[in-house]
Amino acid sequence: MKKVSRRDFLHLMGVGIGGVTAAQLISGCETDYPSPTINPEPSLTPLQPQPTSTPTPSPQSTNTQQPTPPEYPYLVVTHGEDPEQHIRQGIKALGGMERFMKSGADVIIKPNICVPYHSYEYAATTNPWIVGALVKVCLEAGAKRVRVMDFPFGGSAKDSYRKSGIEEQVNAAGGEMEIMTTLKYREYDIPNAVSLQKTSVYEEILKADLLIDVPIAKNHGLAILTLGLKNLMGTILDRGAIHNDFENRLVDLATLVRPHLTVIDAMRTLMANGPTGGNLSDVKIQNTVIFSHDTVTADSFATSLFGLLPQQLGYLVNAANRGLGRLDYQNVKIEEFNING
Amino acid sequence: MAKQSASTHLKTTNYLITLRKITQSLALIVFLALMIETAIDRAPHDLTNIPIRLSPLAMLASLISSRTFLSGMTISLILLLSSLLVGRAWCGWICPMGTVLDIFRFQKSKSGRKLPENFRAIKYGLLIVLLFSVIFSNLTLLVFDPLTILTRTMTLSILPVIDQVITAIEKTLINVPFLTGAIYQFDLWIRPAILPIEPAVFQYTILNGFFFIGIILLNLLAERFWCRYLCPLGALLGLVSRLSLVKRNVKDTCIQCHLCELHCPTGTINPQKKFTSDPAECTLCLNCLKDCQKNSLSFSPSLSLAPRSDYDPGRRTVLNAFLVSLSLTALLSIEWIKRYPRRHALRPPGADGEKLTSTCTRCGLCMKVCPTGALQVNLVESGIEAAGTPVFVPRLGFCQYSCNACGQICPVGAIPALELKEKQTKIIGKAYIDHDRCIAWSDHQTCIVCEEMCPLPNKAISLESGEFSSPTGDTMTISLPVVNREVCIGCGICENKCPVAGEAAIRVYTF
Repeated sequence: MKKVSRRDFLHLMGVGIGGVTAAQLISGCETDYPSPTINPEPSLTPLQPQPTSTPTPSPQSTNTQQPTPPEYPYLVVTHGEDPEQHIRQGIKALGGMERFMKSGADVIIKPNICVPYHSYEYAATTNPWIVGALVKVCLEAGAKRVRVMDFPFGGSAKDSYRKSGIEEQVNAAGGEMEIMTTLKYREYDIPNAVSLQKTSVYEEILKADLLIDVPIAKNHGLAILTLGLKNLMGTILDRGAIHNDFENRLVDLATLVRPHLTVIDAMRTLMANGPTGGNLSDVKIQNTVIFSHDTVTADSFATSLFGLLPQQLGYLVNAANRGLGRLDYQNVKIEEFNING
Repeated sequence: MAKQSASTHLKTTNYLITLRKITQSLALIVFLALMIETAIDRAPHDLTNIPIRLSPLAMLASLISSRTFLSGMTISLILLLSSLLVGRAWCGWICPMGTVLDIFRFQKSKSGRKLPENFRAIKYGLLIVLLFSVIFSNLTLLVFDPLTILTRTMTLSILPVIDQVITAIEKTLINVPFLTGAIYQFDLWIRPAILPIEPAVFQYTILNGFFFIGIILLNLLAERFWCRYLCPLGALLGLVSRLSLVKRNVKDTCIQCHLCELHCPTGTINPQKKFTSDPAECTLCLNCLKDCQKNSLSFSPSLSLAPRSDYDPGRRTVLNAFLVSLSLTALLSIEWIKRYPRRHALRPPGADGEKLTSTCTRCGLCMKVCPTGALQVNLVESGIEAAGTPVFVPRLGFCQYSCNACGQICPVGAIPALELKEKQTKIIGKAYIDHDRCIAWSDHQTCIVCEEMCPLPNKAISLESGEFSSPTGDTMTISLPVVNREVCIGCGICENKCPVAGEAAIRVYTF
C-alpha cells in the first residue's frame, strides 16, 4: 500500500471536508429551490361556475380555458368483454386520443398497482389489457413515449408490476414500466389548500404532457370506494399524511395533481375486503369502463356500479364543492354503449 | 545454464503469483456479486447462499447443533477436502476475508516487533470451544466464522453505507441543472440493479462496522493477524492441512538469507527450524518462491504428517476448551429471556426461537434478502445466546405477504423453506391496538390505515362504528379498527404503516 504522508493526509482531509461542506451548501439550496411552475389545471378541464375557493388558476390557464366543444361527450361508458375494444371504442367516442395529446407527447399512465399479492383476477390491481390498450392508443396517436407507474405499498414495484400482469402487457404494447424512486419526488406547495399545505409529488407526473389516471373501481375502508381521485395518492411520497383529515387532504392533492383523462376500469370490481382483496368471491364482473376528462364525474358515475350515490363519498362532494368537477353525472352529455366485437 | 533455469523459475513463480492475485480478485468480485444478487427476484437463492454453504465450520457446527442434515451442506466438503490436498490454499487464494486483509496491508517495517508464536493457539482454542459448544446446541461463536462475518458486514454495514453515500451524492448533484438527467438515469439503473429502491436501515450497523474495521486494524500489529491468530475456520482447515499432500519444502541449498521469512504474510517461516514452515499456517501464497535466490524452495507432494508445533492444541487445551464451552453454554442459557420473551423476540415466519438459535449460522443473508428490511440482527434482545440471529422488527419493515425469501435463502433451514401458500398461514405474532395512542380510538379522528394495509383476504382488522360526542356536544360516528386475532398472522404491515409518530398504535406481540 502506498505510504500516505501527513501532508497528503491533511490534503485529503481538506478535500473531504470541503466536499461535504460544499455538498451541504448545494443541498441547502434545495429549500430555496422555487417550486416549478405547473399549470394547476389541464387545459381541457371545463370548470363549472367557479366558486371562490377554486385553486388559483394561473393566468395562462384562464386563457386556454374554454368550454368543451359540444360534439364531444362529457362522459363515455362502455360495456363488453374485450378490454382493448373498450379502450379503442371508448376513446374514439370521447374524441380520439388526439384530443388529449399532440404528436410527440410524453405520456404517463397511472394505474392502480397497489400490492404484489394476487393476479388481476382478484381485482386489486387495474386490468393489464386495459393499460396495455391505452399504451397502444397513445403510441398510435404519436406519443413520444408512454410510461406506466405506481408506488405500491405492500411490496416492491418490480414485484407488483409483474404480479399484476401489467408489466407484460405494457412491454408488449411498446410502453415502459418506470419504477418510482424517491429521488424524483419534489415538495410542492398546494395553494388554497384546506388541510394539506404541501406534499412531495413525483415530479415527472406533474410534468407529463398527458397524465391518464386508470384506477380499478374497488371497495376501500376509508374512502368507501377507491376510484380516480383516490388513485392519485400513488403519486405522492407520504401517504400517511393523507389519512388524517382524508376527505379534505385528498381533494387538496387533487388540486395539484390533475389527470387530463380518467379511465376507470370496472371490468372486475372488488366489492369487499379492499383495497388489497384476495377472495374471488368478493369480485363482481361488471365488464364496464368509464371515460371522462373530469375525474369527479367519472368517479361519480362509478358509484352507481356499487349501488351507491356520489353524495355518499365525502371526498367527492368536497371535490365538487371546490370546483374540481361535476357530481351530477346524470346531467352531463353521456354516451353509453355496448362495444362491438 | 543454471542462470537460465533460475530465470525460467522466476518467470513461472511470477506467473503463479499473478495467477493467485487474479484468483483472489475474481473470488472477491464473485462474492460481492453474489451479495448484491441476494435479493428477491434475482439470482436463485441456492446460488447466492453458496459462500456460507462453502464454510465447513458453519455447516459442521449447524449440523451437530441442530442434528439436521441438509444435502446443500455437502458443498463445504469441497473446501475441507481441498485442505487435504493443498492445505490452507483457500486462505491464500480464495477466501474473500483474506483478500480484504491483503488489500489493507499496512506493514512497512517487516522487522521490529514480532508477536509470540503462542498467539496462534488462540484460533485453535476458539475452534475447539466452538465445536464443543455445538454439541450443547450453542452456536453463538459462529459469529466469528469469517464467511458469516463478511456476509453479515456486507448486509448490515457496507452496502447500507454505500447506499447512503450514493443517495447523498445524487441528492447533491441533482440540483446541478445540466446533470439532472444523467443522475435520473443513473438512479434508475442503480436502484433496482445494485441497491434496494428504498435504502435499507439496520440496527447495529455501526457496531458491526467497528467489529469489521477492528479485524482490519489488527493488520497493523501483524500482517493477516486475523488469519494467523483468530480465524476459527483457518484453524479447522489448519488442522486438516497438517495431513495435506502439497507442502512447502526447503532444500539443503538454502543459504539462510532470511528473505522468505521477511515476506511471509502469515509469518510461519521459522529461522530456528531451518526456514521450514507449518503447513497449518502456510496459505500457499508462493511469495517465498519469488524471494528465494537459490531456488531452494518447492511446493511439492509429500506424504507426511507435519511436525507438532508448540502452539498446536494438546490434550490439556482440549480439556480446558471443553470446560470453557460447558460453562459458556451454561452461562449463556441462564437468561431471563427464557421465562419471558420480549416482544422483540419476534422471529422470521415459520421459525421457532430455540430451533432458530441452535441452527442459525449468523450469516445474515435473510436480513439481506428481506425486501422490506424487517429482519434485523439480534444483539442481546432475544438473549446473548442468540446474538447474530435474525429478529423481526415490524416498525422497521413488515413481512411481505407475497414473499418467502428468508426461508428460501437460509443455508441451514433455521428459517424453514416454506412454499408461499404455507408461509402465508404461519403466525409470527398477533397484533394488538393501543387504544390510548390510536388516532381513531383516542383522538376520534378517521384513520383506518391498519385495516387498509392488512393483506389477508378476509382482513384480520375490521372497522366498527363507534359513537362519540364531539367537544361541541354533537354525536359523531367514527370507524374504529378492531383486530380479529383468530385470523391475524402478525405480518406487521399494520404496525409498520401506522401513521402515529414514534411507537405505533398497533403492535405485534409474540403469542
